[in-house]
Amino acid sequence: MSNIAVLPILIPLVAGIITIFFHKKIKAVRFFAKLVTLLNLGVAVWIGYYVIQNGTVVLETGDWVAPYGIVMVADRLAIFLVITTNIIATACVFFAQHSLSLKQEQFYFYTFYFLLITGVSGAFLTGDLFNLFVFYEVLLMASYGLVILGGERVQLRESLKYVLLNLFSSMLFVTTVAFLYSVVGTINMAQIAQRVQEVEQTGILTTIGIVLFFVFATKGAIFPLYFWLPKSYIVPNTVVSALFGALLTKVGIYSILRTFTLMFTNDTGVTHELFIWLAALSMLFGVIGALSTNNIKLIIAYNIIPAVGFMLMGIGLLNDAGISGSVYYLIHDMIIKAALFLMVGALAYLAGTSDLTKMKGMIHHYPLLGWMFFIGSLVLAGIPPFSGFIGKLLLLRGGIEEERFVIVVIGLLTSLLILLSMMRIFMRGFWGEKPDIKVQPKQARKLMMPAVFLLTLSIILGIGAEWFYPHVDTITTELLDQGSYIDSVLKE
Amino acid sequence: MIYAVFAPLIITLLIPLLSKWKERVHTGWFILPVPILIFIYFVQFVGENFTPHSESYSWIPSLNISIDFYLDGLSLLFVLLISGIGSLVVLYSIYYLHKSEQLKQFYIYLYIFMFSMLGVVLSDNVFVLYSFWEFTSLSSFLLIGYWHYRERSRYGALKSMLITVFGGLSLFGGLITLSVITETTSIQAMIEQKDLIVNHSLFPLILVFILLGAFTKSAQFPFHIWLPDAMEAPTPVSAYLHSATMVKAGIFLVARFSPILGGEPSFFIIVSLFGIVTLFWASFMAVRQTDLKGILAFSTVSQLGMIMAMLGFGTDVAIFAAVFHILNHATFKGSLFMIAGIVDHETGTRDVRKLGGLMTFMPMSATLALFGVFSMAGVPLPFFNGFYSKELFFESAIDLPGFSGAFVEFLQQAIPYIAVIGSIFTFVYSMYLFFSTFRGKYKEHELKTKPHEAPLGMLISPSILVLGVILIGLFPNMVNESFLAHAATAVFGDGFHAHEVKFWHGWESPALRMSLIVVGVGTILAITRKKWTSVYTVFPRRLSFNELYNYIVDSIEKGSTKITETYMTGSIRHYVSYILGSILIITGAILFITNGVTIEFDDLAPITIPEILVGLTMAIAAIASIFTNNRLSLIIIVGVVGYGLSVLFVIYRAPDLALTQLIVETVTVALFLLCFKHLPELKNLPSHPGVKSINFLISVGFGVLVTLIGISSHSSKLFSPISEYFIEESVPLGGGHNVVNVILVDMRGLDTLFEITVLGIAALAIYALIKLRHDKEAK
Repeated sequence: MSNIAVLPILIPLVAGIITIFFHKKIKAVRFFAKLVTLLNLGVAVWIGYYVIQNGTVVLETGDWVAPYGIVMVADRLAIFLVITTNIIATACVFFAQHSLSLKQEQFYFYTFYFLLITGVSGAFLTGDLFNLFVFYEVLLMASYGLVILGGERVQLRESLKYVLLNLFSSMLFVTTVAFLYSVVGTINMAQIAQRVQEVEQTGILTTIGIVLFFVFATKGAIFPLYFWLPKSYIVPNTVVSALFGALLTKVGIYSILRTFTLMFTNDTGVTHELFIWLAALSMLFGVIGALSTNNIKLIIAYNIIPAVGFMLMGIGLLNDAGISGSVYYLIHDMIIKAALFLMVGALAYLAGTSDLTKMKGMIHHYPLLGWMFFIGSLVLAGIPPFSGFIGKLLLLRGGIEEERFVIVVIGLLTSLLILLSMMRIFMRGFWGEKPDIKVQPKQARKLMMPAVFLLTLSIILGIGAEWFYPHVDTITTELLDQGSYIDSVLKE
Repeated sequence: MIYAVFAPLIITLLIPLLSKWKERVHTGWFILPVPILIFIYFVQFVGENFTPHSESYSWIPSLNISIDFYLDGLSLLFVLLISGIGSLVVLYSIYYLHKSEQLKQFYIYLYIFMFSMLGVVLSDNVFVLYSFWEFTSLSSFLLIGYWHYRERSRYGALKSMLITVFGGLSLFGGLITLSVITETTSIQAMIEQKDLIVNHSLFPLILVFILLGAFTKSAQFPFHIWLPDAMEAPTPVSAYLHSATMVKAGIFLVARFSPILGGEPSFFIIVSLFGIVTLFWASFMAVRQTDLKGILAFSTVSQLGMIMAMLGFGTDVAIFAAVFHILNHATFKGSLFMIAGIVDHETGTRDVRKLGGLMTFMPMSATLALFGVFSMAGVPLPFFNGFYSKELFFESAIDLPGFSGAFVEFLQQAIPYIAVIGSIFTFVYSMYLFFSTFRGKYKEHELKTKPHEAPLGMLISPSILVLGVILIGLFPNMVNESFLAHAATAVFGDGFHAHEVKFWHGWESPALRMSLIVVGVGTILAITRKKWTSVYTVFPRRLSFNELYNYIVDSIEKGSTKITETYMTGSIRHYVSYILGSILIITGAILFITNGVTIEFDDLAPITIPEILVGLTMAIAAIASIFTNNRLSLIIIVGVVGYGLSVLFVIYRAPDLALTQLIVETVTVALFLLCFKHLPELKNLPSHPGVKSINFLISVGFGVLVTLIGISSHSSKLFSPISEYFIEESVPLGGGHNVVNVILVDMRGLDTLFEITVLGIAALAIYALIKLRHDKEAK
């Protein structure tokens, strides 16, 4: 049964390759893509169920035993994130045909899309640091393909920055893995964790850990490494923005969460202290960015950064409440960011502009979209009883337990400013006099359905927290007890 | 009880269906029974033998969040206000809002508010309370912004939301802190741990957090500024949310937490001070207003300040007076708002400068207003309920709790005087409100329509409220033992003894003297109002808190644009220098803090001359590349570095790697040459010498840092590497003598598979890019 751990990677990989061969037969490709995405979602859910019932699934690829070969580790955290990834993929694949041009669809959108999912799922599932690098490459290369899809001038300009900075961080990644290998002689994450614990002199390991953190922080868009993010996330098509906004930064955060709960926990006074400060700065600068613009897509893109700050805060706190808060927030944020990107994409499409100063009164024509956006804003700002609230409650509780009042106050203030940044869209874009525009109710309905699906999930994740939180609690226990991960991989 | 709370929410789901009938019947009629039924349900609890009821429903037990409803005297007072005034307001709104308005939205917001307000006053679980609390703020936001095509409505809506949600988040912080300290989420369980809380080092923080929540919601000075702008909402909303119920949520909160936080000098100082200052300032400012609803808004603020102050005093008289005044204020202020709405409805304006002499046109409304106004002013006649609570207020203000300390003593001296002065202004604006609207000269040319009496339906609700004013005035003890005493007990604790409320205390009573001073001085000031209003011009408008708010909101937008534009320049060079600079500083610092630098040369292989030569060549080439302005030579110089690397591979006996590197270099150079002619001229971007030297420092520093980490990693090989296993098992398990090959295709075959995939994606992406652009240009 351990083979099931590779399915969420294998299915989209194969599907991505298959779509190359009939990329021009667009109806067939669409059908195939939807079908495989749903299948993959089903498989992920099934694995999730299996993991809950039977515990972590470890696959030693090619039967090369850990720690020598590459292992795939489907523990609860990994598989939950894979399921969330596939939920977002499902919403996006149903949105794609309404937002992309036929040419873009034909020129391998679905291939890049599937390979992006492959890379993201692989990054969640792998238990090998070098293999993590490889999956980073897969997802980044697929994202390069997606970001330039369409080949507009502005896309090429912004994607160049995206590519260059991410290439740099990949370079740093592989160098750091080499340094780490030199010190601990292994790249299996469980074994690294085991060996790091045995070391007494940890200075160099802490330093390597921090460099690795910066690598992940570049992907995760943490202060002061996020400069590439806002603009490059808004130039591609809405569906691509949604995929990026929901998935890419979260892979970075997941990697930090994994590495700094499993491997580098020796010198928390230095590393995790640093995280808390960077978290605070990410929150502040991110939300300042969100307030600085009138471009609705850019407002959402900037809002990724404070969210990342919240998750980093929990990792920095490294207590029960903090870690569960981060995990809950991670899953919540993936879903709501995708939903919001899809919604502002639909809004920009229907209003014919993404500039707030040129928009007004859209609620007269699209009340459903308006109210969805309103609820989405509340979810994002962490207003109860929606999903953002649960994560925020846990994170703030964690902060207060550690008596970290500065970050708690910054977190509260940031929530208010996030709400303000979202209400600016609501009040300027949706409120006001009835605008004189062409109304497209049919198109609007199609564009909104995937967002409705995601928003509903978000609400369930909040009101029905009792169905999810106990699992998050288990994940936290597993994360804070390195032994359980090490034992399940190295089987000692 | 849960049905009673959730009924308004459930009915909102049905409103969209009902609105299909709105052609014939006003939507309000369908949903009017809901608050009436809730009122009837709760009124059954009233009685002298009332004991608290509780109901519990599980929600998120693993986070200790459960829906626990706790109905004690205090909640009972509030639920009756919410459902009672709610019924009257819905009835009133049926006549106030025309069928052509967006009634569906209006009633949905209103009922969501009703639902969340009931939740606030009944929740025992702090996080559920907080959830409801935020929803009252949000529904208030939507109701203020109901006519959202008006600029002022949007402004008022945002202002109220920012201030109340700010307070809400602060409250949230306070509640989490409380729950962390006490390890419970139930307010009743927290009361039992009062000693633990007040002696905890975090007590001041909790106090500030929670009081900020209460003060913003109840519009206490200086957070009161949102309430006057909230008057943009339709008048039924102002009567309901912004005078009778929502703004009292802050009062409720302070009352609810009094058993936990009260009885402490800090609580007394903060709450009394803010309350009494609010009472004075808002009553003083009310006289300046020209909008009927503006006067009422400031009056509400001032009355809330008075109740807040009494909660701060914390004596049993004060607490009783506070709950008494909560009830009284709801009756007279609710009716006054409704009358203001009627005046607006029938004359088309609320500007008192345009109004006057309406008594003859609207005798009913004028009579109702007279009762409301005189009760508000605290005129000592036995049929104005406001007089009783005002007199109890004076009584409590001269008998303050005996804490010691210089500031406390100063407060104890000052409070009775401020109370009287505030009440004088209350008297003045009350008279001003009534006389300038209903008496005086009728200004025909100022009004667009000829005023006439309101339809009967519109007068029903204010009449019922005024009836309450009179009945409570005549028989104040009717609501005392059976109702208010229970509310006061819930706030004060079991030691509370019900007082008999009397109209006459004898000439000796100091409270009566204070009342007489108020009436006397108030009458003089009211008559001479026009002569002294110039004092208001002493304060420049620029220095008001409103301007401060505008300035903050404005600078949030402008400031954030400025900050963001400073560093988000769009220049990749800037981004790279920020990123490298921060990595350099932080990692460098950590490397030294943790003593990470280890440099050992023990296990190094001897360095040969060819190695040195190759290394030097590479280094020189790398440095030279910076100084080249010519693209062609740049390509060649970079090529030197690459080829040097492959030579090093040869020296270190890795021929396959050397070959790969050679091919890569050759292909790269060839590719460069191919597209060379399409590339633009290589320009040396001008940059400031200071920037240049910083960039220089960063790049050199980063190089040194990576080298240091590299050497240190090499010098601290702490474990035997897993490569030993690969070398051992390559033949027996992998069946190959070239370990690298076995690793690539077997042991770590998965990596290779995906690296190939990466190349494939890259090829496909480039193809798609060229093809799509090409097709576009072909068009």
